[in-house]
Amino acid sequence: MILIGYGNPLRGDDAAGLEVARYLQTYGVPAVASEHDAAGLLELWRGADRLIVVDAVITGTEPGTIHRFAPEQVELSADLTLAAPVSSHGLGLREAIGLARALGVLPADTVIYGIEGARFEPNAEISPPVERAVRGLAIRLRFAYLTSMQPAASAP
Amino acid sequence: MSRTRTIRVDYMTRVEGEGALFLKFAGDHLSEVQLRIFEPPRLFESFLRGRSFREVPDITARICGICPVAYQMSSVQAIEKALQVEPHPQVRELRRLLYCGEWIESHALHIYLLHAPDFLGYPDALSAAHDHPERVKLGLELKQTGNALVTLVGGREIHPISVCPGGFFRVPSRTELDALVPRLRRALDLAIDTTEWVAGFDFPDYEPAYDYVALRHPTEYPLLDGHLASTRGLDIPVEQYEDHFVEEHAPHSHALHSRQRQGGSYHVGPLARLNLNFDRLPPDLQALAARSGVAAPCTNPFRSIVARAVETAWACQEALRIIDHYQEPPEAAVAAEPRAGKGCAVTEAPRGILYHAYELDSQGLVRRAKITPPTAQNQRRMEDDLREVARMFQALPDPELAARCEQLVRNYDPCISCATHALKVRIERT
Repeated sequence: MILIGYGNPLRGDDAAGLEVARYLQTYGVPAVASEHDAAGLLELWRGADRLIVVDAVITGTEPGTIHRFAPEQVELSADLTLAAPVSSHGLGLREAIGLARALGVLPADTVIYGIEGARFEPNAEISPPVERAVRGLAIRLRFAYLTSMQPAASAP
Repeated sequence: MSRTRTIRVDYMTRVEGEGALFLKFAGDHLSEVQLRIFEPPRLFESFLRGRSFREVPDITARICGICPVAYQMSSVQAIEKALQVEPHPQVRELRRLLYCGEWIESHALHIYLLHAPDFLGYPDALSAAHDHPERVKLGLELKQTGNALVTLVGGREIHPISVCPGGFFRVPSRTELDALVPRLRRALDLAIDTTEWVAGFDFPDYEPAYDYVALRHPTEYPLLDGHLASTRGLDIPVEQYEDHFVEEHAPHSHALHSRQRQGGSYHVGPLARLNLNFDRLPPDLQALAARSGVAAPCTNPFRSIVARAVETAWACQEALRIIDHYQEPPEAAVAAEPRAGKGCAVTEAPRGILYHAYELDSQGLVRRAKITPPTAQNQRRMEDDLREVARMFQALPDPELAARCEQLVRNYDPCISCATHALKVRIERT
């Protein structure tokens, strides 16, 4: 299982995914905090059978809401805004997922968690509802990770 | 006592990917072409003032997420000139190696994910990947080899941390470099294959009279140094850059457009390098270029994708050559002590010449910084090309005309989300 927290540390709630990864790391869970472009992301999850990615999203719901998406929803939904890609060539998480699916290199069991963000201005702090959601999701994912490490585990 | 200052930076919306193209037709007459690109370097020139010279390479690396090495190389060499510091020759070879990694990574990304879809008739890389998955995978493998080289020599993938005035904080060992050789050999094969693949694309018939500008070196295909040369006969040391190239404010884009003092627009990048340094390519790559339709002189900007592929092969070959001859320097960096001085440097970023100039005070703090990126230098030429290409294709329905314009802009591999389909194209016909 690969856990990736994706985001931009310089734009407020856009750091949500990175913060989730950071919390998981402090719990001893091997999560990756990623700012990679699409090609780098494909490299990160190469060969994994299970993938969980966390990112900030804008869907118009209450800030701090934790959404759970299947890859097709992320790739194709026009109502969903993901964290702005950090590469100046603009190929971020959405493109990575789409590319991976097209190339047949997306882990079969892939889930994307989106934390609804409130503010994304440069140098903004993470907003309180997002901070709460980050902590809550990190605890959930830690449990998912521990469960997956047990023999004959069933996926949560 | 505290002061509150409010600084509003409209440019930061660029993070979302704002590039805009505006075409206006009055009947059949193309009356207006505007290309709007935002420019981070302007801000960096300001907030670098008062910073220590030691911070400059890392700060300027943040200007570009896809070519940080270029910024580090131009800035560190300019600073070393100002401080009159000369790194060991082996350090220079390592810097070339690092730069090769960036060229491989940047060119492969651009060819496969940004530009090839245009030629294959797809709106973006994703749809191209659906139909050509094996081909795209090869491109990604090529890119990742470049990344691996940058990570090894530079210490980190996205913004290398090992570059410093005087040399490197840490140099790789012989063993570490040798470990990359199999991947680089495979990358060379992939790059040659890529060249042959893109050489078979359809190229619109467009051969404008350009002035190409690039570095020219007595023996090397240019990366780190040389003279500034142009196909119209310019041959000057880089110290004279600002005497010959000037930036002017272009109101519609809030950007500075470069032009030559003596004349108009000019073109930098792979095609410029190839045209001015073809004889510096090893014979087998000259042959590759020739059978791929880009032997010098090549003046069709749409063939820049082929020039890029040839350069990718060259960078793989050059990386292998450097590793083969590699000797660790006696020390990773020579001492660089603060002193007052001025220095400038031009290096060849993947997209073309990148000029940095710094003035330091006696404590080594930056008094003045000037950074001219390749994309800014190409901007005027991009607009001139757009005018011509828009006319060529003006009879097409708007979506197809827009696609041709985007394909044209991508010849320049601009460091903006214009390179993806985020370019906003507005066409007005009356």
